[in-house]
Amino acid sequence: MSYILRRLLSIALTLVLISMITFGVTNILPGDVAMMVLGTQSNPTALAGLRQTLGLNDPLALQYWRWVVGMLTGHFGNSLMFKVPIGPLLLQKMTASALIVVMSMALALACAIPLGVWSAVHRNRWQDSTAASAALLGISLPDFFWGIVMILIFARTLGWLPSSGFTDPSVNFIAALQHALLPACALGLGLMAHLTRITRSTMTGILNQEFIRVARAKGLDERTVIWRYALANAIGPVMTVAGLQVGYLFGSIIVIESLFNYTGMGWVTYQALLNRDIPLIETSVFVIATVVMLVNFLVDLLYLAVDPRLRQSR
Amino acid sequence: MRRFLTPKSLIGLGIVVIMVTIAVAAPFVIPASFATRMQLAMRLQPPSAAHWFGTDQLGRDLFYRVMLGARTSLTIAGAAVGISVTFGLPLGIISGYFGGWTDIVLMRLVDTLLSFPALLLALTISAMLGPSVPNTIISIGVAFTPFLARIIRGEALRVAQMPYVEAAQATGTSGFAMIIRHVLPNVLPLVIVQGTISLAFAILAEAGLSFLGLGTQPPQSSWGLMIQTSRDFLDVAPWTALVPGAAVALTVLALNMFGDVLRDVLDPRAQR
Repeated sequence: MSYILRRLLSIALTLVLISMITFGVTNILPGDVAMMVLGTQSNPTALAGLRQTLGLNDPLALQYWRWVVGMLTGHFGNSLMFKVPIGPLLLQKMTASALIVVMSMALALACAIPLGVWSAVHRNRWQDSTAASAALLGISLPDFFWGIVMILIFARTLGWLPSSGFTDPSVNFIAALQHALLPACALGLGLMAHLTRITRSTMTGILNQEFIRVARAKGLDERTVIWRYALANAIGPVMTVAGLQVGYLFGSIIVIESLFNYTGMGWVTYQALLNRDIPLIETSVFVIATVVMLVNFLVDLLYLAVDPRLRQSR
Repeated sequence: MRRFLTPKSLIGLGIVVIMVTIAVAAPFVIPASFATRMQLAMRLQPPSAAHWFGTDQLGRDLFYRVMLGARTSLTIAGAAVGISVTFGLPLGIISGYFGGWTDIVLMRLVDTLLSFPALLLALTISAMLGPSVPNTIISIGVAFTPFLARIIRGEALRVAQMPYVEAAQATGTSGFAMIIRHVLPNVLPLVIVQGTISLAFAILAEAGLSFLGLGTQPPQSSWGLMIQTSRDFLDVAPWTALVPGAAVALTVLALNMFGDVLRDVLDPRAQR
């Protein structure tokens, strides 16, 4: 229990640091939010007036404090380009992105684990080198390139799936899945290749251990040895790496959502960056980093629940 | 050394050497007017004897564009990894070797930075500074630093507990001399391995940034930028996407192959 308490404290500290870094990065250049609102050709008196009202003349520390207090009390401010409150906007975008992130993770794990196991079982034979080469190619191509190839094949040529757009799952679930499938595949492909490599190397290590030899000597059939004995021990490290890759996925959604015009968190962050919508940039970057941090925390807890050895040592 | 000379590493290294040669030689081989010459009558031509890789939407020769793109992509990736090693190496060594509060504070900072997806961090910094080649280098370099610092710290920590380090400490070697003489040389193999793998990631990151318009700017040639502009002509001229895509894939693949072998040979954690 004290472990979880300690972790919660450390999460609070990390949140403070995340907010400081986000604020620091978005304020590298002196705030031009006023110019963003009024346009570059606006009259200097109006600009000065707006800077005053928005508090842009205050010291950075004070501006930071106002931003943090605002977030703590649920006031995220308004987006300058969308002219709507940021809180509800990001909540809706986050749900949209969660759909493709979860789908891509599920697709990646569903393919990577059997492939990695298969590769490890046939170590140094043609099955292994084929899978290894495919995985190496998978991590070597940019995900947006896979996205383009998929659009070309499945949307333009075959016409099976829409090439762009987003549908709210609560409005039309089937259409939502159709719109999410291609982006999720493009996101998941690189991840799948990476996880295949991890599964293979973890499984290879485990298959060389004593207890596997004992299990085989006992006369257990090979299927049980591999799936019940070896994989049960390999799944922990694989899940940990998969959890860490959620951060990678949240970086990739910016490119993939823009490519597929899928209006989720990545798309909205990209629009904010292009239009220098500072309040929206600050909050969306903060939200993404927070989500990534929390997912990693959850993976840690899950690991703790699954592996009894770790519970005793803490 | 023999373990290092595998077909995988030689092919990887060979492709990398070819790519670097192309990047260095490109401006000398290609007449400046050639690479930027627009011939609207020749737009979107498929690959032919005159234009090996075809032409783009402005009638520019894609073979030359992709060669010039190698120069941009490799320069940015190399310089960005240079920046992240310059900052990540001292950070990691100091944190791992000295331990205690220094370690706790530095690693807390690094862990927090790792919560930001690298691409998001790079995009944000690039957008804030204004997209250009130097700013792309800075943003990718900064975004990759925490990752390198974390890995080097682990290795420095391991080296600091070695008997020979303890022996040197017992003879009264000072902290700074210890780092230079004993810790640094033992951490370097890992830096070389991670640097190679980071190069591959940096090329992908540059392609991503340029693809989103927040990296290399036109009329400069970059692989990501070429893929970006090809999107509007995919139906009629798929080669405009496939050529730069293949260039990225080949280079990153080669770096990964080379890096895989380097890791098997140099990385102490990979040895079984």
